[in-house]
Amino acid sequence: MQSTVIVSIAKKEIMDNIRNKWIILVSVMFAILTLVFSYFGSFGGQGWQDLGMTISIMANIVTFLVPIIGLMLGYVAILGEVERGSMNSLLSLSMTRLEIVVGKFLGLAAVLCFTILVGFGAAGLLIAANVSSVDFLEYSLFIGATMMLGLVFLGMAIFFSTVFSKRSTALGGAIFIWFLFQMILPIVFLGMLIATVDISSVVPGSSISVPGWYHGLTLMNPISIYSSFLTLSLGPVASMETSLLIPLPEWYSSGLLVGILVLWILLFFILAAWRFQRQDI
Amino acid sequence: MPTQQVTCPQCHTTVTVTGNVGETVVLICPQCHLKGTATIQGSDATPARTSDGAIVVSNLTKSFNNFIAVKNASFIVRRGEIFGFLGPNGAGKTTTIKAMLDLIHADAGTITINGVDVSIHGKEAKRFVGYLPEKVAFYENLTALQNLMFYAEVKHASQEECSRLISEFGLGDTGKKRVGKFSKGMVQRLGMARALLGSPPILILDEPSGGLDPRGVVLIRDKILEMKKKGTTIFVSSHILSEVQEICDRVAIINRGVIVAQDSVEGLSSKLNLKPLIRVTVDAMSPALEAAVKALPGVHRVTIGGNVLDIICDGAMKAKIILAISTAGGNIQNIQTKEPTLEEVFMRYTEA
Ligand SMILES: Nc1ncnc2c1ncn2[C@@H]1O[C@H](COP(=O)(O)OP(=O)(O)OP(=O)(O)O)[C@@H](O)[C@H]1O
Ligand SMILES: [Mg+2]
Repeated sequence: MQSTVIVSIAKKEIMDNIRNKWIILVSVMFAILTLVFSYFGSFGGQGWQDLGMTISIMANIVTFLVPIIGLMLGYVAILGEVERGSMNSLLSLSMTRLEIVVGKFLGLAAVLCFTILVGFGAAGLLIAANVSSVDFLEYSLFIGATMMLGLVFLGMAIFFSTVFSKRSTALGGAIFIWFLFQMILPIVFLGMLIATVDISSVVPGSSISVPGWYHGLTLMNPISIYSSFLTLSLGPVASMETSLLIPLPEWYSSGLLVGILVLWILLFFILAAWRFQRQDI
Repeated sequence: MPTQQVTCPQCHTTVTVTGNVGETVVLICPQCHLKGTATIQGSDATPARTSDGAIVVSNLTKSFNNFIAVKNASFIVRRGEIFGFLGPNGAGKTTTIKAMLDLIHADAGTITINGVDVSIHGKEAKRFVGYLPEKVAFYENLTALQNLMFYAEVKHASQEECSRLISEFGLGDTGKKRVGKFSKGMVQRLGMARALLGSPPILILDEPSGGLDPRGVVLIRDKILEMKKKGTTIFVSSHILSEVQEICDRVAIINRGVIVAQDSVEGLSSKLNLKPLIRVTVDAMSPALEAAVKALPGVHRVTIGGNVLDIICDGAMKAKIILAISTAGGNIQNIQTKEPTLEEVFMRYTEA
């Protein structure tokens, strides 16, 4: 692989997204949402919440929005150029298909990470200036984990942009993926849990003992991994969620969860490269 | 030592020359004494060898689902020549070209560019090539210059070269206009500019005249000839046969995925035994004159229109026809020889 080619392609993706104002729009949206939730969306009345509290409020919004952003950034990465016809000329240049996928992934990843960093970072600084207790490390962990969640969905989207040949079907695919991980899988897993665990013994507000397979299954859902990671690693989130119905098992660790997120990213990246390699343009 | 048949361009006599492959031999036509040169070429019947040509396609086969678009195609494009690639719509030209650039994966066969196997070392092979796709497309939200600059970055070409090419192809005044707002012909011109970026030693052009106005057609033809002078090898698929005949050193004809012919235009006409047409204008027509010409052995058909005789005959008949007409008392005002056209060759090779 040749880095100059990869950089050229990555730069092109970044410039495209700056040109169509994606970056600016989404960063501003993140910042505004964070500020609004930190100030108004609090549990203990109005006023600035500290960063930890803000994270726990934001986590739900993030699991909802960041996958969408990852999917939207990536779902036309390859097929857009194939459909438009510019892939012919791009591929006729002295470069490999792997370099194209790597370049596009890195460029879009940079856009995604920059957006998350600027959006949450700016809001975080503003909040930090208004509250007394500030744990920048926790907030950085939150931003980092959020980036990884976004990258998983970006990788999926790029993979789907090598599978579908039409923009409209790819959009449909992206929406389906979002529903799958946001709603369908959690409901299915929960359904399976309810079907196997004796519900009558469950007292609301208390925790139940959950079989190991359930925690194995939820690792199939990057959104669950992200939530579990926040619960596990960040004090305030964990303390807020003690009333959670399903406790996390002992064997979950931040390292393991991050590792699995990385695997998710790699998996779809490799699938995308593999698909694109054998595609006829 | 290999021998080769060449046809005298003036009287169409077939002359046999002997020499080493690649050697240029001076020869004099035994019939009309025209002096000329011929370069001894390797026989087309020998299997394609990677060292021989700028582009060597051997036994290329590509099917889509169950439809075979290209069947066992083989041809060699020699260094420095303009090679025309002809065939009816849907014959498999674009499919072959895409395989040359590794845009599609062949089912079987090999393609080398400057000796480099495209399917194994595509990146290295593509370094030699400038490509004009059949459907030219650009990044629509960028200007002509911004688009070329992107490709220039990868091809290590300069901004000056981009600007120069843009104005050479008549797009110098597009300025801030986005390519999405360009007309079809403008996009095609920019496509040619992109193909020439970085002065690649090999050009692969899929219908370069598509969507162009007459001036654009001439511009691109001149550009192709200019590039040939610089030593560029040019592979061009086209439907404009008069133009192909004018500029191409050799052509291949593909029909329903099969290469049916591959030679120089003259070579193909002589293989098909196509006859030239001699048009003679006399000052006065007479039955005796007509009879004299028709009686000549080697004359196949004579059509009379006023003072003009259109004579379809074997090659090297010009002198005999002149003699016959003068003997019959005719005064020749004008005499023209029309070679068999590529169009006739094309029609014959692509008959159903
Ligand atoms: N991606 C594809 N899927 C299915 N069939 C295809 C595909 N690409 C080409 N074909 C078929 O292969 C055949 C050859 O097509 P190709 O584009 O190579 O023709 P062509 O010689 O370039 O024709 P034209 O002069 O019209 O450009 C056609 O029958 C076409 O329908
Ligand atoms: Mg075509």
